[in-house]
Amino acid sequence: MTLFAQYVTTGIVTGCFLILATIGFSLTRRVEGFLNIAHAELLSVSAFTTWGLNAGAGWPLLPAALVGIIVTAVVGLLIGRIVYDPIRGHGPAVLLITSVGAAYVIHGAMDAIIGTGIRTLDIPLATTYKFHGVRITDYQMIVVGLAAVATLSLALFLTKTKIGLAIRAMSANPSLAASRGIDVKQTSRATWLLSSGLAGLAGVMLAMVATLSTDIAFNQILQILAVAILAGLGSLYSVIAAGLIVGIAMDVSVYWIPAGYRPLIAFAVVIIALLVRPEGLSGKKAR
Amino acid sequence: MKNKASLKVNLLKSTVLAGAMALAGTATQADVTVGVLVPLTGELGEFGKIVANGVELAVAEVNAAGGTKCGPIRTVIADTGGNPEVGIRAATKMIESDGAVAILGPTSGVMVALVDLAKRTKTVIMSPYAGTITLNDLGGDYVYRTVSSDLGDGAASGLWLTDRGYKRVAFLVQNEESTISPAQVARDTLEAAGIELTDYVIYNPGQPSYQAELISVLSHEPDAIYLAGGQESGVTVIKEATAGGFEGEWLFTADLAVPEIFDAAGAENLNGRAYVEFADSDSSLPEYQAFEALVQEKDGKAPGPFEANSFDMANLIALSLESADSCTGEGINDVIRGVAEGGEKVSTFADGKAAIAAGKDVDYEGASGPLTFDASGTVAGSYSIQEAKDGAWVNVKFYPASAFE
Repeated sequence: MTLFAQYVTTGIVTGCFLILATIGFSLTRRVEGFLNIAHAELLSVSAFTTWGLNAGAGWPLLPAALVGIIVTAVVGLLIGRIVYDPIRGHGPAVLLITSVGAAYVIHGAMDAIIGTGIRTLDIPLATTYKFHGVRITDYQMIVVGLAAVATLSLALFLTKTKIGLAIRAMSANPSLAASRGIDVKQTSRATWLLSSGLAGLAGVMLAMVATLSTDIAFNQILQILAVAILAGLGSLYSVIAAGLIVGIAMDVSVYWIPAGYRPLIAFAVVIIALLVRPEGLSGKKAR
Repeated sequence: MKNKASLKVNLLKSTVLAGAMALAGTATQADVTVGVLVPLTGELGEFGKIVANGVELAVAEVNAAGGTKCGPIRTVIADTGGNPEVGIRAATKMIESDGAVAILGPTSGVMVALVDLAKRTKTVIMSPYAGTITLNDLGGDYVYRTVSSDLGDGAASGLWLTDRGYKRVAFLVQNEESTISPAQVARDTLEAAGIELTDYVIYNPGQPSYQAELISVLSHEPDAIYLAGGQESGVTVIKEATAGGFEGEWLFTADLAVPEIFDAAGAENLNGRAYVEFADSDSSLPEYQAFEALVQEKDGKAPGPFEANSFDMANLIALSLESADSCTGEGINDVIRGVAEGGEKVSTFADGKAAIAAGKDVDYEGASGPLTFDASGTVAGSYSIQEAKDGAWVNVKFYPASAFE
């Protein structure tokens, strides 16, 4: 029983990481109306900026992570304005393919700057705590804590601030939002900053937990897509539910079936869920 | 500059070639091209650089000794990033545009992808580290390697885990053919020795965390974990298992046999309880010692992993060109087995060249071992086990090829 609880706990942590990695992706999907494949590479930008400042320049983790997140937000905004804005009129398919190209460009740039081999942050080994026999490390608790704080702040931001409400209006109906006097350009910029900043936060988590290579961030794109598809087009809360479902299903599956099938489980869950509920968890239809 | 000069020489090549053939045995201006196809980027980038360096060292020695009868060796280098598709493109260019007669240095996946191309274009391909068992079936004609098959790594790992006297061992194996096949061999050895296998986990690389894979492993508290994985997954697994309270010993496979591991996973987590197994040259051989001295002199450091195998690979090609009837891949393929066995033992290109000039048959004994190709174009291997000590890998055990008979 403890063993099973351990799998569930690990699954919650995996789920929380997936929530952090997906939430910005979903936000872009809703407001900008396309799947931004380059989102996963933004995790890499943040992870390596943090690594460079922490392990390279000797900064403590917190300021390094903050700069990493800010740099990523700005990089995301620049890509949004320079790459996606001019071709917005060509529709989501063109934007999607362009974003694959953008992912390659970021990846190539990272390869050129960072080089080969593996990198790790200059931080102590995780400390493990035991609660009723179930292990959890301090870094895992940070992932869960930050996922909670990030989603809560995002929810408050979207419901309580003017710009947040504008983003929601844009995501619900862009032409109506524009006709009601919402500054579409400014709202779009805010969305890019916000979603890329969230990718930055996920990148910092990745750097903290994982061993970095220039490939690792992009390896997460399939799971990000799985969570985003399962969540559908609805609210923030469906992303939270989808992240947790995928994370827990993947990790708990190891209890019964070989670990090699773990990634497959993510998609099995998505396929089953969509058979039952084609519009995703949120229940909203694509616009 | 060198490239420019080579290009000029290459332009002359076609006109000079006819004369060169007639004047075989005398020095000519033409050169012979060998492709170096290695991963310079990606996870195996560090190994690719070492291999390229080993090849260049040998080529410099060959050219210093007056080059082959086909002229001095010119190398063209390309990065595969470990990607077979990129490898095929680069190899095709080397063969068709650069006129390469041999391609040296592909990793397992690239090597397998190149088998057809090699046979079709009659170009020799050779790897110093492609241990994949797929080549046990595909290799032999135009396809060679100066390293033993992965199965040998598994046998050596199994032998070490048994010798060490562990009672309970867990296996964590990356989901790749090159890690699974040796792990199976090691597992069989352990089972035959009656050692309890607490877990046999095959995991997918590229994950941020391997906590889910480790839960069952850690709950069984094994004496040792056999970790057959890449650097990225390996380091994360080591850290997470250590944080999770694992206090036993480790046996890693060759990918982790690099000094960077100590920085990345923390030397304090490895010292005194981590071991690594890899195919290695017999350092007691005089040929190896001569090679080690050469590397020290040229690069100011000890040879890297597979560097001796890479050096041997280039020497074998040079000696084959020296004794072949034609300066082509086909010529090399016809004589390479003969150059590697039976005849007067030579360990440098210069000695071999002199022996061949004297009309003798040569047997190249390399820095990495005696190098005799079996039916699949593979050599028998010897293996080293190193221990983590004060943040560095130190030799503790050597298994010569005879240990597995």
